[in-house]
Amino acid sequence: MKKLFVLGALAAMLASGTALADTSGKKIAFSNNYAGNSWRQAMLDSYGIVTKKAVADKIVGAADIFTTADKEVPTQAAQVQNLILQGYDAIVINAASPDALNGAIKQACDAGITVVSFDGTVTEPCAYRVVVDFKDMGKQEVEQMAKFQPKGGNLLEIRGLAGTSIDDAIHAGILEGVAAHPEFKIVGSVTGDWDQTTAQKAVATILPSLPDIVGIVDQGGDGYGAAQAFAAAGKPRPTIIMGNRQDELQWWKEQKDKDGYKTWSASIAPGVSSLAFWVAQQVLDGRTDIPHDLLVPYLAFTQDDFEAELPKIVKGGVASHEYTQEDAIAAIKANIK
Amino acid sequence: MTSVKSLLTKPWIWSFLGALLVWLATIAFTGGYGAGGMVTAALSLAVFTVIVGVGQMFVITLGPGNVDLSLPANIGLASAVAMKVMDGNDSMIALGLLAALACGAAVGAVNYLLIWALRIPPIIATLSASFIIQSIDISYGRGLQIKPPPGFADFANWQVLGIPVLAILTVLFTIGAAIALQRMIYGRSVLAIGQNIRAAWLAGVNVGRIRFLTYTLSGALGGIDGALLAGYFRGANVDIGNEYLLASIAVVVIGGTSVAGGKANVPGVWGAALFLVLLLTMLNTFGVSAGVRLLLTGLIIVGVITAAGGQKALR
Repeated sequence: MKKLFVLGALAAMLASGTALADTSGKKIAFSNNYAGNSWRQAMLDSYGIVTKKAVADKIVGAADIFTTADKEVPTQAAQVQNLILQGYDAIVINAASPDALNGAIKQACDAGITVVSFDGTVTEPCAYRVVVDFKDMGKQEVEQMAKFQPKGGNLLEIRGLAGTSIDDAIHAGILEGVAAHPEFKIVGSVTGDWDQTTAQKAVATILPSLPDIVGIVDQGGDGYGAAQAFAAAGKPRPTIIMGNRQDELQWWKEQKDKDGYKTWSASIAPGVSSLAFWVAQQVLDGRTDIPHDLLVPYLAFTQDDFEAELPKIVKGGVASHEYTQEDAIAAIKANIK
Repeated sequence: MTSVKSLLTKPWIWSFLGALLVWLATIAFTGGYGAGGMVTAALSLAVFTVIVGVGQMFVITLGPGNVDLSLPANIGLASAVAMKVMDGNDSMIALGLLAALACGAAVGAVNYLLIWALRIPPIIATLSASFIIQSIDISYGRGLQIKPPPGFADFANWQVLGIPVLAILTVLFTIGAAIALQRMIYGRSVLAIGQNIRAAWLAGVNVGRIRFLTYTLSGALGGIDGALLAGYFRGANVDIGNEYLLASIAVVVIGGTSVAGGKANVPGVWGAALFLVLLLTMLNTFGVSAGVRLLLTGLIIVGVITAAGGQKALR
């Protein structure tokens, strides 16, 4: 994160003279399709904190949040069409489907509205996509594992929701990491759906048949369940890569206090919603050099800084990070090649 | 030999045979390694399906159209209620369990109220109730994980010689349920209603009261299941009961209970629940991909039901 801030400060200095248009009268809407889990709650919180301040500082005129009740595509498509009619200048969207909303998105673009998607991104070319570098995250998991388990050994992989691009990307990164570190071997793979209960169940069923495991590479939301499954089976605790959830970091701290347990934690920050907001603001500001596909860093914690973060996360929630305008400018700069 | 023959005519034997076969196939694959651990894991995880499965079995036995689709939402809400009442405090465990039980029973009672007072078919009544319950749960729990007190979590994970204590208690509970089904007026009334509701009514069975009791029982079991799940998986959340919609119905059917109602058995619920967990164990151990795993799960369940059903057709 530190590197990002330094870059951000530099970029801010460079960019300070380049603002082309005034955005203080612009209205930005946020179209969201679900609010029922801790990640989405944190996403809305981060977005609310950042945009309220942006409105108060007169950087934008309005930043309203619209959440539909279900995860359905037609509801969100209708919502986007309403937002077009209401005259918003930009729409930030976490979409229910990568392609089924393209029709509504195209209508918005044709009406001169800037569309920035994140997390649930859309494939419509006229929209911007803020994408986290999940492949690098998977690769980094194995790199970190090599530090904690220098002798190598057997790894268990916990996959995410089957068929999603995120699952594919992290998995590809992990395979790449293992190829670079032949001392590791993946001896088992289960599906945890990024969910603690599902992961614990899946690990519990495969555990009896597995040889000794030195580490678990996973996708976030599944580390605590895996730890419970090992404890329930009476097996020695491996190095489990965590995913920024409060219960995962809490467990990590307990283990660290007990015997100096070491691991690493990474996930997509729910506050990436605020980064998407700033990207929309930058487009409205008149910048034309912004790539439509923006790869942004994931949020990671190490042995040295996770304990400082822990008290800031709401109990049972997930670590977030509110991005600033400078962060967005830096991220855009990093993506212009 | 006659005892073996009579055993084979029992509809529930097929689910146990299926579980045994799947287990043998898995240890053949690993060369005998981890056989005991698999049984322990299967018992620990099957418990939760058995508890809601028994509730669902009584409801389904009431006759065609009777089913409780509100179980997943009910489990989710009760898990949050139990954990909030316990509030990480060991001395509040009993009160938390009671709260979960009451919350579940209330859901069940409301289900029957919708069915009886508004004359909504059970499948729609319980489904719409589940949407309402889930909304309450989202605003009540704010989508957060709520942790159980350490004493309750340890209890839910407690094992004696590799046998989970929760499984032993659940066996005792299912023996009670079997007696209630086969030997008590309540159970016989449920079977009678399932066979012919009008005949049961003419024979003097208080149909309304029995149906009310059955939906309330199913709800209460869902509630207690939610509390236990939150203890075992160390955290209540909205989605904790999701898989028990289909699993609760599947174990009833695989266990040899008639979907048309009027014919039920309790041991089959255990056999089927163990079968489902061991099936997951087998496919995970074989290392097949997620898509193939779902495909094989479907095909194998169809296979077991056909085997069990084929036997019935001979009679």
